[in-house]
Amino acid sequence: MKMDHSLPLEYSTEENKLKILGFWIFLGAEIMLFATLFATYFTLVGRTAGGPTGAGIFEITPVLIETLLLLTSSFTVGLGIHAMRLGRKKAMIGFFITTLLLGLAFIGVEIYEFVHYVHVGAGLQTSAFTSILLTTLGTHGIHVTIGLFWGLFIVLQVWKRGLTPQTANKSFIFSLYWHFLDIIWIFIFSFIYLKGMM
Amino acid sequence: MSELFPLKQVMGFVFSLILTAVALSVYFFNLSFSTGMIILLVTAFLQAGLQLVVFMHAGETEDKGAIYTNVYYGLIIALMTIFGTLLVLVWDM
Repeated sequence: MKMDHSLPLEYSTEENKLKILGFWIFLGAEIMLFATLFATYFTLVGRTAGGPTGAGIFEITPVLIETLLLLTSSFTVGLGIHAMRLGRKKAMIGFFITTLLLGLAFIGVEIYEFVHYVHVGAGLQTSAFTSILLTTLGTHGIHVTIGLFWGLFIVLQVWKRGLTPQTANKSFIFSLYWHFLDIIWIFIFSFIYLKGMM
Repeated sequence: MSELFPLKQVMGFVFSLILTAVALSVYFFNLSFSTGMIILLVTAFLQAGLQLVVFMHAGETEDKGAIYTNVYYGLIIALMTIFGTLLVLVWDM
Protein backbone atom coordinates (compact mmCIF):
# COMPACT_ATOMS: atom_id res chain seq x y z
CA MET A 1 0.00 0.00 0.00
CA LYS A 2 1.37 3.37 -1.03
CA MET A 3 1.37 5.84 1.84
CA ASP A 4 2.00 9.54 1.70
CA HIS A 5 3.47 10.57 5.06
CA SER A 6 3.22 14.30 4.38
CA LEU A 7 -0.56 14.00 4.76
CA PRO A 8 -2.61 13.23 7.87
CA LEU A 9 -3.21 9.50 8.42
CA GLU A 10 -6.84 9.64 7.28
CA TYR A 11 -5.69 11.00 3.90
CA SER A 12 -2.58 8.85 3.56
CA THR A 13 -3.70 6.39 0.85
CA GLU A 14 -5.49 6.84 -2.46
CA GLU A 15 -8.43 4.80 -1.19
CA ASN A 16 -8.70 7.00 1.91
CA LYS A 17 -8.80 10.17 -0.19
CA LEU A 18 -11.54 8.75 -2.39
CA LYS A 19 -13.59 7.64 0.60
CA ILE A 20 -13.47 11.14 2.09
CA LEU A 21 -14.48 12.72 -1.22
CA GLY A 22 -17.23 10.12 -1.61
CA PHE A 23 -18.56 11.03 1.81
CA TRP A 24 -18.64 14.73 0.88
CA ILE A 25 -20.77 13.79 -2.13
CA PHE A 26 -23.13 11.93 0.21
CA LEU A 27 -23.31 15.05 2.39
CA GLY A 28 -24.22 17.07 -0.72
CA ALA A 29 -27.19 14.72 -1.21
CA GLU A 30 -28.09 15.12 2.47
CA ILE A 31 -28.17 18.92 2.05
CA MET A 32 -30.76 18.40 -0.70
CA LEU A 33 -32.76 15.94 1.42
CA PHE A 34 -33.07 18.46 4.24
CA ALA A 35 -33.84 21.22 1.71
CA THR A 36 -36.98 19.34 0.62
CA LEU A 37 -38.03 19.02 4.26
CA PHE A 38 -37.45 22.73 4.89
CA ALA A 39 -39.34 23.65 1.68
CA THR A 40 -42.30 21.54 2.81
CA TYR A 41 -42.10 23.01 6.32
CA PHE A 42 -42.20 26.60 5.05
CA THR A 43 -45.18 25.70 2.86
CA LEU A 44 -47.19 24.02 5.62
CA VAL A 45 -46.15 26.09 8.66
CA GLY A 46 -49.43 28.04 8.60
CA ARG A 47 -51.72 25.04 8.00
CA THR A 48 -52.50 24.33 11.65
CA ALA A 49 -56.11 23.11 11.08
CA GLY A 50 -57.29 24.70 14.31
CA GLY A 51 -54.48 22.94 16.22
CA PRO A 52 -51.51 24.53 17.98
CA THR A 53 -49.07 26.88 16.21
CA GLY A 54 -45.30 26.89 16.52
CA ALA A 55 -45.36 29.86 18.88
CA GLY A 56 -47.89 27.96 21.02
CA ILE A 57 -45.85 24.79 21.56
CA PHE A 58 -42.15 25.73 21.24
CA GLU A 59 -40.23 26.14 24.51
CA ILE A 60 -37.00 28.12 24.44
CA THR A 61 -35.24 26.29 27.31
CA PRO A 62 -35.07 22.73 25.88
CA VAL A 63 -34.32 24.13 22.42
CA LEU A 64 -31.43 26.17 23.79
CA ILE A 65 -30.11 23.17 25.76
CA GLU A 66 -30.24 21.02 22.59
CA THR A 67 -28.38 23.70 20.63
CA LEU A 68 -25.63 24.04 23.23
CA LEU A 69 -25.25 20.26 23.55
CA LEU A 70 -24.89 19.80 19.79
CA LEU A 71 -22.58 22.80 19.32
CA THR A 72 -20.33 21.54 22.11
CA SER A 73 -20.34 17.99 20.71
CA SER A 74 -19.31 19.35 17.32
CA PHE A 75 -16.40 21.12 19.07
CA THR A 76 -15.32 17.99 20.97
CA VAL A 77 -15.38 15.74 17.89
CA GLY A 78 -13.22 18.38 16.18
CA LEU A 79 -10.78 18.16 19.11
CA GLY A 80 -10.92 14.37 18.74
CA ILE A 81 -9.74 14.60 15.14
CA HIS A 82 -7.04 17.06 16.19
CA ALA A 83 -5.83 14.61 18.88
CA MET A 84 -5.94 11.82 16.28
CA ARG A 85 -3.68 13.82 13.98
CA LEU A 86 -1.24 14.21 16.87
CA GLY A 87 -1.33 10.42 17.33
CA ARG A 88 -2.85 10.76 20.80
CA LYS A 89 -5.11 7.72 20.79
CA LYS A 90 -6.37 7.97 24.39
CA ALA A 91 -7.16 11.68 24.14
CA MET A 92 -8.95 11.06 20.87
CA ILE A 93 -11.10 8.30 22.36
CA GLY A 94 -11.85 10.57 25.32
CA PHE A 95 -13.06 13.34 23.04
CA PHE A 96 -15.11 10.92 20.94
CA ILE A 97 -16.80 9.45 24.04
CA THR A 98 -17.55 12.99 25.27
CA THR A 99 -19.09 13.71 21.88
CA LEU A 100 -21.28 10.62 22.03
CA LEU A 101 -22.43 11.43 25.58
CA LEU A 102 -23.39 14.96 24.50
CA GLY A 103 -25.23 13.44 21.51
CA LEU A 104 -27.03 11.04 23.83
CA ALA A 105 -28.07 13.96 26.06
CA PHE A 106 -29.32 15.78 22.95
CA ILE A 107 -31.50 12.79 22.01
CA GLY A 108 -32.77 12.66 25.61
CA VAL A 109 -33.88 16.31 25.50
CA GLU A 110 -35.42 15.78 22.05
CA ILE A 111 -37.44 12.80 23.31
CA TYR A 112 -38.65 14.96 26.22
CA GLU A 113 -39.59 17.62 23.67
CA PHE A 114 -41.56 15.17 21.50
CA VAL A 115 -43.42 13.82 24.54
CA HIS A 116 -44.25 17.42 25.46
CA TYR A 117 -45.62 18.10 21.96
CA VAL A 118 -47.85 15.03 22.02
CA HIS A 119 -48.92 15.97 25.55
CA VAL A 120 -50.09 19.45 24.47
CA GLY A 121 -51.99 17.96 21.53
CA ALA A 122 -49.43 18.36 18.73
CA GLY A 123 -49.08 14.79 17.48
CA LEU A 124 -47.95 13.58 14.08
CA GLN A 125 -51.53 13.54 12.75
CA THR A 126 -52.86 16.76 14.31
CA SER A 127 -52.29 19.09 11.36
CA ALA A 128 -50.13 19.55 8.27
CA PHE A 129 -47.92 21.81 10.43
CA THR A 130 -47.31 19.27 13.20
CA SER A 131 -46.74 16.49 10.61
CA ILE A 132 -43.96 18.31 8.81
CA LEU A 133 -42.54 19.70 12.07
CA LEU A 134 -42.16 16.26 13.63
CA THR A 135 -40.97 14.74 10.34
CA THR A 136 -38.22 17.35 9.94
CA LEU A 137 -37.11 17.17 13.59
CA GLY A 138 -37.42 13.38 13.52
CA THR A 139 -35.30 13.02 10.38
CA HIS A 140 -32.54 15.01 12.08
CA GLY A 141 -33.02 13.07 15.32
CA ILE A 142 -32.76 9.67 13.59
CA HIS A 143 -29.55 10.86 11.93
CA VAL A 144 -28.10 11.71 15.36
CA THR A 145 -29.27 8.35 16.74
CA ILE A 146 -27.60 6.45 13.88
CA GLY A 147 -24.51 8.61 14.49
CA LEU A 148 -24.42 7.48 18.13
CA PHE A 149 -24.19 3.80 17.15
CA TRP A 150 -21.77 4.52 14.32
CA GLY A 151 -19.55 6.56 16.65
CA LEU A 152 -19.63 3.84 19.29
CA PHE A 153 -18.35 1.24 16.80
CA ILE A 154 -15.66 3.67 15.61
CA VAL A 155 -14.46 4.12 19.21
CA LEU A 156 -14.37 0.34 19.72
CA GLN A 157 -12.36 -0.15 16.51
CA VAL A 158 -9.84 2.54 17.40
CA TRP A 159 -9.57 1.11 20.89
CA LYS A 160 -8.90 -2.40 19.53
CA ARG A 161 -6.84 -1.72 16.39
CA GLY A 162 -5.17 1.59 17.23
CA LEU A 163 -4.69 4.46 14.82
CA THR A 164 -4.20 2.98 11.38
CA PRO A 165 -4.94 4.57 7.96
CA GLN A 166 -8.24 2.65 8.02
CA THR A 167 -9.46 3.59 11.50
CA ALA A 168 -8.25 7.18 11.12
CA ASN A 169 -10.16 7.43 7.84
CA LYS A 170 -13.35 6.05 9.41
CA SER A 171 -13.03 8.42 12.37
CA PHE A 172 -12.51 11.43 10.11
CA ILE A 173 -15.56 10.53 8.00
CA PHE A 174 -17.62 10.13 11.19
CA SER A 175 -16.51 13.60 12.29
CA LEU A 176 -17.68 15.04 8.95
CA TYR A 177 -21.09 13.43 9.51
CA TRP A 178 -21.33 14.79 13.05
CA HIS A 179 -20.40 18.36 12.05
CA PHE A 180 -22.93 18.14 9.23
CA LEU A 181 -25.70 17.26 11.69
CA ASP A 182 -24.72 20.31 13.72
CA ILE A 183 -25.06 22.49 10.61
CA ILE A 184 -28.56 21.08 9.93
CA TRP A 185 -29.48 21.73 13.56
CA ILE A 186 -28.38 25.38 13.25
CA PHE A 187 -30.89 25.79 10.41
CA ILE A 188 -33.62 24.01 12.40
CA PHE A 189 -32.82 26.21 15.42
CA SER A 190 -32.89 29.40 13.33
CA PHE A 191 -35.69 28.84 10.82
CA ILE A 192 -38.05 26.53 12.67
CA TYR A 193 -37.72 27.47 16.34
CA LEU A 194 -36.49 31.08 16.47
CA LYS A 195 -38.52 32.13 13.41
CA GLY A 196 -41.56 30.42 14.97
CA MET A 197 -41.13 32.21 18.30
CA MET A 198 -40.16 35.59 16.80
CA MET B 1 -2.50 19.37 27.56
CA SER B 2 -2.75 22.67 25.71
CA GLU B 3 -1.65 21.05 22.46
CA LEU B 4 -4.99 19.20 22.54
CA PHE B 5 -6.89 22.50 22.40
CA PRO B 6 -5.73 24.30 19.24
CA LEU B 7 -6.48 28.01 19.24
CA LYS B 8 -8.23 27.87 15.87
CA GLN B 9 -10.84 25.38 17.06
CA VAL B 10 -11.32 27.02 20.48
CA MET B 11 -11.88 30.37 18.76
CA GLY B 12 -14.24 28.65 16.31
CA PHE B 13 -16.26 27.30 19.23
CA VAL B 14 -16.36 30.68 21.00
CA PHE B 15 -17.44 32.35 17.77
CA SER B 16 -20.20 29.77 17.23
CA LEU B 17 -21.50 30.50 20.76
CA ILE B 18 -21.47 34.23 19.99
CA LEU B 19 -23.41 33.61 16.75
CA THR B 20 -25.98 31.58 18.70
CA ALA B 21 -26.35 34.43 21.22
CA VAL B 22 -26.83 36.95 18.39
CA ALA B 23 -29.46 34.70 16.76
CA LEU B 24 -31.24 34.49 20.13
CA SER B 25 -31.76 38.27 20.06
CA VAL B 26 -34.71 37.74 17.69
CA TYR B 27 -36.43 35.88 20.54
CA PHE B 28 -35.66 38.34 23.33
CA PHE B 29 -36.12 41.64 21.49
CA ASN B 30 -39.19 42.82 19.67
CA LEU B 31 -37.78 43.07 16.15
CA SER B 32 -39.66 43.41 12.88
CA PHE B 33 -40.01 40.24 10.77
CA SER B 34 -37.54 41.39 8.10
CA THR B 35 -34.87 42.49 10.63
CA GLY B 36 -35.24 39.18 12.47
CA MET B 37 -34.96 37.16 9.27
CA ILE B 38 -31.85 39.05 8.17
CA ILE B 39 -30.21 38.35 11.55
CA LEU B 40 -31.13 34.65 11.34
CA LEU B 41 -29.96 34.26 7.73
CA VAL B 42 -26.61 35.93 8.46
CA THR B 43 -25.93 34.03 11.70
CA ALA B 44 -27.04 30.64 10.30
CA PHE B 45 -24.93 30.83 7.14
CA LEU B 46 -21.89 32.20 9.02
CA GLN B 47 -22.27 29.36 11.50
CA ALA B 48 -22.48 26.79 8.68
CA GLY B 49 -19.42 28.27 6.95
CA LEU B 50 -17.52 28.22 10.25
CA GLN B 51 -18.26 24.51 10.79
CA LEU B 52 -17.24 23.75 7.22
CA VAL B 53 -13.90 25.57 7.25
CA VAL B 54 -12.73 25.29 10.88
CA PHE B 55 -14.09 21.89 11.93
CA MET B 56 -14.59 19.95 8.70
CA HIS B 57 -11.21 21.00 7.26
CA ALA B 58 -12.91 21.63 3.89
CA GLY B 59 -10.15 23.72 2.33
CA GLU B 60 -7.03 21.98 3.62
CA THR B 61 -6.36 19.21 1.11
CA GLU B 62 -5.83 18.93 -2.63
CA ASP B 63 -9.39 17.66 -3.14
CA LYS B 64 -10.75 21.01 -1.92
CA GLY B 65 -11.86 21.99 -5.43
CA ALA B 66 -14.07 18.91 -5.67
CA ILE B 67 -15.31 19.35 -2.09
CA TYR B 68 -16.34 22.98 -2.56
CA THR B 69 -17.87 22.30 -6.00
CA ASN B 70 -19.96 19.54 -4.46
CA VAL B 71 -21.02 21.63 -1.44
CA TYR B 72 -21.94 24.61 -3.62
CA TYR B 73 -23.86 22.34 -5.96
CA GLY B 74 -25.83 20.86 -3.04
CA LEU B 75 -26.42 24.35 -1.66
CA ILE B 76 -27.64 25.76 -5.00
CA ILE B 77 -30.09 22.87 -5.46
CA ALA B 78 -31.21 23.34 -1.83
CA LEU B 79 -31.82 27.08 -2.24
CA MET B 80 -33.59 26.54 -5.59
CA THR B 81 -35.84 23.90 -4.00
CA ILE B 82 -36.67 26.10 -1.00
CA PHE B 83 -37.11 29.44 -2.78
CA GLY B 84 -38.83 27.82 -5.79
CA THR B 85 -41.35 26.26 -3.42
CA LEU B 86 -41.82 29.54 -1.56
CA LEU B 87 -42.33 31.44 -4.84
CA VAL B 88 -44.98 29.09 -6.18
CA LEU B 89 -46.78 27.91 -3.05
CA VAL B 90 -46.37 30.63 -0.42
CA TRP B 91 -45.67 34.00 -1.99
CA ASP B 92 -48.14 33.21 -4.78
CA MET B 93 -46.16 34.78 -7.63
